[in-house]
This record gives sequence, structure tokens and C-alpha cells, in this order.
Amino acid sequence: MPTRTILAASGLVLAAVIAGAPFVLNEGILRLATECLLLLTMAQMWNLLAGYAGLVSLGHQVFIAFGAYALFLTSGWLEVTPIWVLPVAPVVAAVVAAIIAVPLFRLREAYFSIAMWVFAEIIGAFTMKSQAVGGTSGLPLPTSKLIDFDWFEPTMFWLAGALTLGTIAALYKLMISSFGLGLMSVRDNDLAAMSVGVDVRHNRFVAFVLSAAGCGLAGALSFMGNLYIAPLAAFDVNWSVYMMFIVIIGGIGTLEGPILGVIIFFGLRELMTGPLGLSGGWYLVGLGVIAVIVMMVAPRGIWPALRDRLGIRLLDVQRTSPRPAVVLPSASQQIAG
Amino acid sequence: MAPLLRVNGLSKRFGEIVVADAVSFKLARGECLGVIGPNGAGKSSLLNLIVGLVTADGGSIMLDGAEITGLPPHRRARMGLGRAFQIPQPFPHLSVYENALVAASYGAGLHGEAASSWTMEVLQRTGLEAKADKLAGALPLIDRKRLEFAKALASKPALILLDEIAAGLTEPEVERLVAIIRTVKADHAIIWIEHIPHALRAVSDRILVLNFGRKVLEGPPADVMDSAVVREIYMGLKADGVA
Repeated sequence: MPTRTILAASGLVLAAVIAGAPFVLNEGILRLATECLLLLTMAQMWNLLAGYAGLVSLGHQVFIAFGAYALFLTSGWLEVTPIWVLPVAPVVAAVVAAIIAVPLFRLREAYFSIAMWVFAEIIGAFTMKSQAVGGTSGLPLPTSKLIDFDWFEPTMFWLAGALTLGTIAALYKLMISSFGLGLMSVRDNDLAAMSVGVDVRHNRFVAFVLSAAGCGLAGALSFMGNLYIAPLAAFDVNWSVYMMFIVIIGGIGTLEGPILGVIIFFGLRELMTGPLGLSGGWYLVGLGVIAVIVMMVAPRGIWPALRDRLGIRLLDVQRTSPRPAVVLPSASQQIAG
Repeated sequence: MAPLLRVNGLSKRFGEIVVADAVSFKLARGECLGVIGPNGAGKSSLLNLIVGLVTADGGSIMLDGAEITGLPPHRRARMGLGRAFQIPQPFPHLSVYENALVAASYGAGLHGEAASSWTMEVLQRTGLEAKADKLAGALPLIDRKRLEFAKALASKPALILLDEIAAGLTEPEVERLVAIIRTVKADHAIIWIEHIPHALRAVSDRILVLNFGRKVLEGPPADVMDSAVVREIYMGLKADGVA
């Protein structure tokens, strides 16, 4: 299919750009780019859950923290370079999600959102009390001496780039699959979805576990880049706030929305704290104002509004109906007659 | 022939309000049961109980010999229940084709080529083929009603439940819809709630009258419509839409 070919080609071009970027960009910009990519992955994961399964989580920081702590602790126990233990992060986050889904899925709407937040706060409080994981002061990355610091920033950037491209490609594949059709039906109307045979609860569970795993991996990478983890940073509710902001202004329930949201999010931050020379507080005010305006003018986010007005389709997941390739018998008879 | 659907002593109350009071009836394949009753008589609640959106307090529902009383809605849909809602429930950001494809994939369990060709057949039969790639959220009322029927049909149901599918349509539109429903009647069982007597008469084999959640009467359309009970229940309500 031509669309798929174009997407595959764009993916390859992006991969090449990501591969080459560290040789061109300086470390500061590279670090910023890494941060953007990781937050984009997290936002995509939050969107998978909120946009496609209708579950708004205010406690997604708990999966970031679980992933990051899992990486720091496992890397310390095994005494290997943290990169090699990265796969532990999504697995731990996914297992935690699968377990807490049992009680949390009894709650709906706002109750679920708040329960997620409370759960994150409880785990955060335990972490601060527990000296085995460093308590309030946190942990340095125990195996940082094994890292080759000449290549550290480029490697982080490459990992973040690979994770982002991989996430978007995987989500795209998911959405064009029949499971994805089920997810989109639940996004649009869960009552109608269950009435035609979609197992809404199962869909929610899968989305929740995948979303947790992705955030766990992105969180592990993020704190690995800092070489240090502390509970106040890991369990910060702002993680969820940023993900939510990016998804809501960009376009909830679309794959392109979070990409646009991340560009606005970081663009605004760099503009306000850089050229405009405003303090960090003003930047948050700016974000809030934009969020309110977008919610009032385009409640489903900027991307869907742009798409409908300009007719552009980027990561098009719509299935077109199969048109009959041959002329229908009745029509040909009419022509013959 | 054993009935496809056997409802026995079905009961449900919400606090003081009784929406189903020991309702029992049977329905065979190829049969259409019309359901009438005043507003709040428990007609939509009866459908909700059958499809599993509401769980019964008592009684049983058997589909093709299997007990489905406690099953969740998606399991019942896969076992052969297709429902068209009173207020159309499309997937607004999916195309018409995708809307029906969800039902073909999940309800009927079809994949790939089989799913897409069956979906197109359903859209042809419901007159939506030309709008297959339009977004469902942008459809006018008649097409949203057709899409409700298409979604129900695409899940390859044994039993189709129609909830006021003709309500709000113009007379020619009602006739077209009735014609579509007639085409599927032979190989499906149908339960049809409607306030338009002539539409119901045209398709139903029997009519069941509900009032305060209780089955008041069941019988051939002509007998039921002319009965004293129905006249009494509908007194003052019967002025509109009577043929």
C-alpha cells in the first residue's frame, strides 16, 4: 500500500536523522531532545490509556518510578552496565499494573483517576520511608562507573529515539490491527462496543498494562540520564500533568496529537525561559492558559481540528471499504441492453 | 421446533420501581415479536435485561438452549444477540464501514477478507454502501438508524433486538426501514419495540403488551391492537401515529 510505504520511508529517514544527530548537535541540545523524546513516549502511553481505553490516570508517575527504581536496583545487584538491565523496567511496571488493575478496575471515571493518584502517593511514601531503596535522599546509579561518558549523551539520545520511533510504529501497527479497531470502538462508545461483542474490560486491561510498561521503560531511561533518582522527582504528580497536558492540547485519541503536543510543550518552555527571559513559574501559567483556550476552542485538541479543516492525514489508521473491482452484473447488463 | 429465546419469570426492580415483573415469553427463529406499552412500562429495560446491560434480580434467559442470564454483554453479543439502540449509538470517529466492521470482527468473529466482504454485504442490504467511508458521526438521522440496524446485523445474530428504530423518521423513511427489516426476518428472530402501530403490524407475528413491568397481553397483532386492555392503557396517548 502506498500510504504504508510512505510511512515506512519516513520512519527510515527519521531513524537516519536520529542516528546522525549526535554528530551535529551539541550536548545541551541533545539532552533537551532526549527529554522531548522520552516525554513523547510517556504521552503516547498515557494517550493509549486515556484516549483509547477511556481511563484517565493521575498516577502514571508510579510506573515511571517503578521502572526507574527497578533499573537502579537491578543494575546495582548484578553490577552490569545499566543499559543491559533496561528490559527489567517495563516488565516490573507491567507486573505492577496487572496486579493493581484488579482493585482499580472496580472504579470508574474520576474515582479511578483519584485512586491511581493515591496509589502513587502511597508507594512514594513507602519509598521515602524505606532505607533499602535510599529513603528520602534517593539513590545514585550504582554502576555509573561502567558507563563510557564520551558516548553517554549520544547513547541516551539514540535509546530515546529508538524507543519513541518504536513506540509510534508499534501503536500504529496496533491501531490498524483488529485489536486496535476494538480499542477505537471503546474510545468512541463503550456501550455500543460491548453490545457488538467487544470485551471492554479486557481491552482496558491490555491498554493499562502496555501503557505502564512503556512509561516504566521511558522513566528508567529518563533517570538513567540523570544518574540519580530521588522519590520526590520520581513520584512527582507533574509527570502525569505533563503527559495529560501534551495529550489534551495535541489531540486525545490520535497518534499525531501527542507529537504536536510535545512540540508545543517544549517550544513554549524554551521560548518563555529563553528569549523572553521569564521565570519557570510564568511558563506554567502559559501552559495553563493554552490548555484552557484549546479546551474551549477545540475540545478534542489541536490535531483533530487541523486535520478536519485542512484534510491532512499523517498516521492514517482508517480502514477504507473494499470497493468492488469489477462492474456489477446488473450494471453491465444495463449497458449491454 | 424449540424456541430460540426462552424468557422465564424475568424480574428487575430499581428500588421501588419495578421494571420487569416475572415476564415470560418464547420466540422462535423467523418470528417477530412486537413489544408495546406506555412510556416507563419497562420496554427498553426488557431489552437491557436480555442483552445484559442490566442484570436480572430473578428469572432466566435461555438462548438456543444455553443459559445466558448472568453473562456479560459482550459474551451475549458473540452468542448471537444484536441490538439497535433507541438513541443511535454509533462510533462517531470511525467510518460507517468501520462501525459495521467492529460488529463483524467481534460479534461475528470474522477476520480479514471474510470480515470485510460480510461488512460490505450488510452495508449493501441496509442501503449504506455509498456512505461506507463517511464518518458515522456526520450521518443524518435516517442513516444513523440504518447504521444501528447494520451493526446489529453485522454481528451475525440469531436474535435481533430493535428499540424504536423507526421513531423520529418520516413516513417514506419508515417504509424503507420496514422493507429492510422484512428481508432479514426469515432467518432471524426479532424483538421490536415501536410506537408506530402500522409498522409493527406489518412485520410482527405476535405483540406483547407491557405495563408497569408486567406482561399484560400477548397475541396476534390484530387481536392485541383491538383489545380493550390496550385501548385502556393507551387512552389519551393513542391520538398520534395511528394508521
